[in-house]
Amino acid sequence: MVLTPPDETTSRPANGWCAAPPVTDEPADLPAWYRELRESAWERFATLPTPTRTNQAWRFADLKHLRFEEYAPAAEVSASLAASLVGRAVGERPAGFAAHFVFANNRLLHAETPALPTGATCLPIAEALVRHPELVRAYFLRRDDVLGGEKFAALHAAATLSGVFLHFPKGCVAELPVIIHHFIGGEGSIAFPHSLVVAEDEASVSVFDLFESIGANEDTLLVGMADLHAHRGGRIQYAGLQDLSDTGAKHVQLQHTRAGRDASVKVGFINLGAEWIRNESVNRMIESGADCQIFSANLANANQEYDQRTLQSHEAQHTTSDLLFKNALYDRSRTIFSGLIQVQPGSHHTDSYQTCRNLLGSDEAEATSMPGLEIDANQVKCSHGSTSGTISDEEIFYLRARGIPAEDARKMISLGFLHGAIEKLDGDDLQDFLFARVERKFAAIG
Amino acid sequence: MTDSATLEAVLVDQDEGNFSYPEDYAHDAGYGLTEKTLDYISDIKGEAEWIRDFRKRALKVFEEKPMPTHWASADLDNIVFDQIRYYLAKGQRPTRSWDEVPDDVKETFERLGIPEKERKFLAGVEAQFDSEAAYSNVKEELTKQGVIFVNSIEGLREHPEIFRPWFGKVIPTGDNKFSALNSAVFSGGSFIYVPPGVKVKYPLQAYFRINAENFGQFERTLILVDEGAEVTYMEGCTAPKFETATLHSAVVELVAMKDAKIQYITVQNWSNNVFNLVTKRGLAHENAEIRWIDCNIGSRLTMKYPGVIMKGRRARGEVISIALANNGQHQDTGAKMIHAADETTSNIVAKSISVGTGRSTYRGLVHIPKHLKGCKNNTECDALLINAASRNDTYPAITVRGNQHATQHEASVSQVSEEQIFYMKQRGLSEGEAMSLSVNGFVNDLVREFPMEYSVELKRLIDMEMEGSVG
Amino acid sequence: MSQSLRIENLHASVDGHEILKGLTLEVPKGQVHAIMGPNGSGKSTLSKVIAGHEDYVVTEGSVFLDEINLLDLGIDERSRAGFFLAFQYPHEIPGVSNANFLRAARQARLPKGEEIDAVAFYREMYAKMDELGMDRKFTARSVNEGFSGGEKKRNEILQMMMLEPTYAILDETDSGLDIDALRIVAEGVNAMRSPERGFLIITHYQRLLDYIVPDVVHVLYDGRIIKTGDKELALELEEKGYDWVTKDLVPA
Repeated sequence: MVLTPPDETTSRPANGWCAAPPVTDEPADLPAWYRELRESAWERFATLPTPTRTNQAWRFADLKHLRFEEYAPAAEVSASLAASLVGRAVGERPAGFAAHFVFANNRLLHAETPALPTGATCLPIAEALVRHPELVRAYFLRRDDVLGGEKFAALHAAATLSGVFLHFPKGCVAELPVIIHHFIGGEGSIAFPHSLVVAEDEASVSVFDLFESIGANEDTLLVGMADLHAHRGGRIQYAGLQDLSDTGAKHVQLQHTRAGRDASVKVGFINLGAEWIRNESVNRMIESGADCQIFSANLANANQEYDQRTLQSHEAQHTTSDLLFKNALYDRSRTIFSGLIQVQPGSHHTDSYQTCRNLLGSDEAEATSMPGLEIDANQVKCSHGSTSGTISDEEIFYLRARGIPAEDARKMISLGFLHGAIEKLDGDDLQDFLFARVERKFAAIG
Repeated sequence: MTDSATLEAVLVDQDEGNFSYPEDYAHDAGYGLTEKTLDYISDIKGEAEWIRDFRKRALKVFEEKPMPTHWASADLDNIVFDQIRYYLAKGQRPTRSWDEVPDDVKETFERLGIPEKERKFLAGVEAQFDSEAAYSNVKEELTKQGVIFVNSIEGLREHPEIFRPWFGKVIPTGDNKFSALNSAVFSGGSFIYVPPGVKVKYPLQAYFRINAENFGQFERTLILVDEGAEVTYMEGCTAPKFETATLHSAVVELVAMKDAKIQYITVQNWSNNVFNLVTKRGLAHENAEIRWIDCNIGSRLTMKYPGVIMKGRRARGEVISIALANNGQHQDTGAKMIHAADETTSNIVAKSISVGTGRSTYRGLVHIPKHLKGCKNNTECDALLINAASRNDTYPAITVRGNQHATQHEASVSQVSEEQIFYMKQRGLSEGEAMSLSVNGFVNDLVREFPMEYSVELKRLIDMEMEGSVG
Repeated sequence: MSQSLRIENLHASVDGHEILKGLTLEVPKGQVHAIMGPNGSGKSTLSKVIAGHEDYVVTEGSVFLDEINLLDLGIDERSRAGFFLAFQYPHEIPGVSNANFLRAARQARLPKGEEIDAVAFYREMYAKMDELGMDRKFTARSVNEGFSGGEKKRNEILQMMMLEPTYAILDETDSGLDIDALRIVAEGVNAMRSPERGFLIITHYQRLLDYIVPDVVHVLYDGRIIKTGDKELALELEEKGYDWVTKDLVPA
């Protein structure tokens, strides 16, 4: 592990690992602009207040999980562990893919690119920074709009060097997804996965991030970011599967979309593991014809808490968006969904929808929905809906009348409920893979 | 394009509540708010010491609490508390006969049609002019049945055994900054008690009138409906248009005992200089029902989220809300439903219309905590935007614990589109008529919830607001 | 002045594009004229300009309804003056029932202070709905909301029958109609034909003209009437296509 404080004089909190930004194994020839950007992010992190519940963006949130000082940069894994992690990732991935990367504790372990289209750039970020500094500079860490997670975003920007930079030039199309595994392990470890995806005019790219724990029951924190830029007519699909250890693991995933003219972007979050997660999904449709679709399927049990905040921001005329979030809750789990549709002044002819559905499977599970609308334009069609309920006795009765035992019926209906969100994503292999993971978690709930 | 008929209609509307009489007050607490203001009010009213203490404690809470501008409109910062008079009265006790009401006050209420409505369909009327009620009367037969309908101070003085146990219990002083302000300077309002089993057939009505400039009206209402009893209470409010801001900040507490029913209807038509910041909450015991039917057409900024705490099994809560925000107005309304017992059900239906630069906001809170069974909530909120500059925001929050409940929430925002208006005009309707028809179509199902006399008035108010909106 | 709907040298544009480029046409009372033309020739623009849609700017020319200069009037004033447009895409009006809508439109035609006779109104409306084969339940449904294409077009004809215009334009009323609906709609229009009323029927296909036989057929092309003839012209167009007439155009 290499710690390189950018500047000894930087103001810093008094204790814990925050004494220096957790930068690891970086190339010597990183561009100067990147170092500056990182330093200013570090300063922002040090000075930004820790969120509190009175902040509207953290309403209903359980903030006992926010103890930055308890984490230290994740240590490099041993060679034998690395080999076994690569084996695990390769042994369990969607059948077809354009490229596959495996990272563990911020470091690249494995890369293969069997089906990348010509012209596409697909490199680990650290390498892309050195080989294509100007191209990366145009997109990397330039966003600052988040939904309450400013401090996390600053920390991420100050530290991230793991993850992949994907640039698809005009007309470049990949049928299969780029798969990126991120493993984290070691008590008190923190890691910063980043996916930067750029689709130029008419290009099409699909990315699948998987977040998994190396072991179980370790207190770890992932602060990840997915940054999606689709230019005119470009298409991006981003799916993130969080299947970390149910106990100990925490995950903050910030995602940001900029969709240009006639671009279409699909985003999917599937949360199965972790003790606490926070997703922030900012989707900006900045030119006419842009379309964003955001889906999420979450299966929470035990004491898991899933906190998801979304924004559908319509900033041009004739833009469309759709959002469907589904939560199945068991035991004492909690989910929070806060979604906002914002139609900016002048963004006429907007069609925007937002739905959150909660299926409560126990007496103590708790689901909070805050679907919001802010409409400041006309010729607009917007609606949101949210429901919370349980499986109805009639549904169970119907399945039992067909000979299915009650427990199986319950499981089938819950699975079907979550499938409704997963099946919105493109790619049969990807869907099958996600379905299998959801079923595996269901089997664990029993 | 506004035709002459439309213009006429609009002018009539503006005239309706927009008149005032010269100030002639025996009691004026002066500008600003200190302990002395409270002593002045207490002295005039000859209040018990506990009320004086209650006021003073409330003032401290008010001073300590910040403005809720971290989530609410920054327009609140434009209220200058030092430039408001907190108590203005002519020094008369409310009379039981209109003949004894001072001429200017009587004329005011006659112009607003109150005595006529009383004759036609009301069981009792209280008419408040600035800080105190000028007229208070309830039908003889109700008095015989034990119904009490008095103003707040009289209620606490004459019937402390009934009202004091519930006073400030549904809405504690510190609930929010404005409930604290009301608790410090409250004056007027209705205290109502309906004995067990008494079903009051006709509505009781309160009418709140602000006459003076730079003034704050802080009425306090407490309605107790005993086991198996029922009552409908209606309030209306108007004020003349002044250049300066006027403040109205009421606290309304309802208590429905077992099997009781309360229906509380508001038609708020304050002038566009009034900050209307009101806290309303009801407590429903077993199998009781509380319905808030709330219509907000006037004011500069309204912040009001009527709530029901369903404390007893099978209690029911309902909020039916219509808000119309015209140029320069912000209607920030909504509902709070707190489920605190098994098998409780709540229903929220809110419709808002934004016209011109008007802004409407819906905020909702539905809370179903753990270990409850069989609770249900249904929420529908729909918004209609009329002009390009109109704005609507919707911020519900629904928390459900446990798998024995069902909630659903639907919201939509739509538009009266240019093509729709073109279509209607091609059939010969003026733009104003086309707008009125569209807007009335939008709120039609809710207007039906109001008593006949009010739904007619409401339709007329909407027509006028709409006809004035185009041109 | 003559009793007719007269369009003279009409130029109109939308967003700076000139669509009508000097259109001249006269529909005398008592006659049915048809306008045919390929897509993009300006057919729908013509109907919207005459109705007064604000997206269209008239740069030159005039439109007279008998002695009334329509271009001086607002949209609703044109309607009350006796002009009716059956829309190609009738708009939905959520929450407003058909009966209330028609009543309001009729009320708007009465002198100030005069109230509509509700009983007579309903009797008349029901009779006309029966003629058009419309279910009575229609009166309580919101205007055009959730209507099928055929139902919407029938509703347009019902409104026309109730408002009794002196001149009506039917804008592609035949589009989206099956043959039965087409026949019913045509019967409705034919029943309204009278010496006191003129019709202008805009259509892409000749089919409708089998049922509503026109006195005169015009061909609209590139914003101008390029050919006028009798009903045989429509048949000829159907057979030979629009290329046949446009080829005849002598370059100016």
